Amino acid sequence: MTGKTFQFEFRDLNINVDNIERAMGYPEGESHEAIYDIVVKVMKQVEAICDLKAEYRIFNDISYDDANRRITVQRTVLNTGKIIYRQIKKSDALALFVCTAGREIEERSRTAMRESDVLEGYIYDIIGSAAVEATAELMQDELEHFMKSSDLKISNRFSPGYCGWDVAEQHKLFGLIPDNYCAISLTSSALMDPVKSVSGIIGIGPDLKRQASTCRFCDMKDCLYRRQD
Amino acid sequence: MSELLTQLSYCVEFGKIDKASPYPPNLKGQEGADEIARRALDEGIKPDEILDKALIPAMAIVGDKFTKKIIYVPQMLMAAKAMSSAMKHLKPYFQSGETKRKGKFIIGTVSGDLHDIGKNLVAMMIEGAGWEIIDLGVDVNTDKFLKAINDNPGAVVGLSALLTTTMEHMKKTVEAIKGNYSGVTTLVGGAPVTMDYCLKIGADFYSPDPQGAVNYLNQFALK
Repeated sequence: MTGKTFQFEFRDLNINVDNIERAMGYPEGESHEAIYDIVVKVMKQVEAICDLKAEYRIFNDISYDDANRRITVQRTVLNTGKIIYRQIKKSDALALFVCTAGREIEERSRTAMRESDVLEGYIYDIIGSAAVEATAELMQDELEHFMKSSDLKISNRFSPGYCGWDVAEQHKLFGLIPDNYCAISLTSSALMDPVKSVSGIIGIGPDLKRQASTCRFCDMKDCLYRRQD
Repeated sequence: MSELLTQLSYCVEFGKIDKASPYPPNLKGQEGADEIARRALDEGIKPDEILDKALIPAMAIVGDKFTKKIIYVPQMLMAAKAMSSAMKHLKPYFQSGETKRKGKFIIGTVSGDLHDIGKNLVAMMIEGAGWEIIDLGVDVNTDKFLKAINDNPGAVVGLSALLTTTMEHMKKTVEAIKGNYSGVTTLVGGAPVTMDYCLKIGADFYSPDPQGAVNYLNQFALK
């Protein structure tokens, strides 16, 4: 079993005001002067306070149950649902990953909300989400690059709570990694602490393809965050 | 309608909080909802009139624009903040009973769930529609909901959940509310919640957006 740990800087993430406005629902090309100024201000704060970490572990001991669409990793059975199973089943190995943007962003968000600046709190929250997703993207790029040297490819990344995979299965993923891995813990309701964290799996094998996004696989056609690419 | 109330309504709709607020640019340096509400009271306009003719209609326009995707969450939050800055001047009249609200709305994110942005947004829009909000916060267990209902007879209850795992707690809480207080109306919301789920757990209403909840609540308004 191999694994790798990463620490990134906010400037590595390629996040700009435009990305954040899209994440808040504004269509391409539409902006709002007052919101723009607050996003710029909060983004500078986030740059200073975020703690971007990512880790992955590669598991070679995996097997597939086509009839029930289940993936067994070591002795843990993952019920990922049919969408993810279809994308993963050609994998020879699985990378289990966790990433976080740290705790300070959510603290700032809650403080702002408590002090009646709900808009600023909301923008902290949106930037925190964008930061952790971009961290996962960078980690995935690193994994792809690493696998390329062995002529292997990777799939998209899939997380519990998405594409029909029950969020409660997050407990199974965390059962496969050491306690406090990447400084993330899990509540009984499968909420990660810090909240601005993601976990999931990435398939590894010679016949896989990483698509621009996972949205094309997902059934939630009306999702606010659905990407068209 | 008084010119002041028209100005106040405009400030709330476009998120002009106070004189220092730089937005909207055409009102830069001018009074915002905070100062205008104060001035309206000082000039003898009744608090009821401020609420019914300026604040509530402005927030209804904001909610409608959001539903139609003419504005987005940040602008709705700016409007809600402007509304709150005006509302603080009305609080003494609510407390004395001179001005009545439409009723009480208890809201909370269910047990195990710490997400509060959606809940806060709904709470602000419902407050802007003239209701008194009793916000129980996040990670609210069933007993806390039941105690709030007991302490506030006649209140409507809103439950929020953002995780499929905590939706189960929503079900338990709704069942307990209906079991103990059969006449209490319950609204549910949150990203994974649907109308089907609402009906399945015995809740009374689901709305994908805050204005839907406001429109539904209006039938229970006491004034």
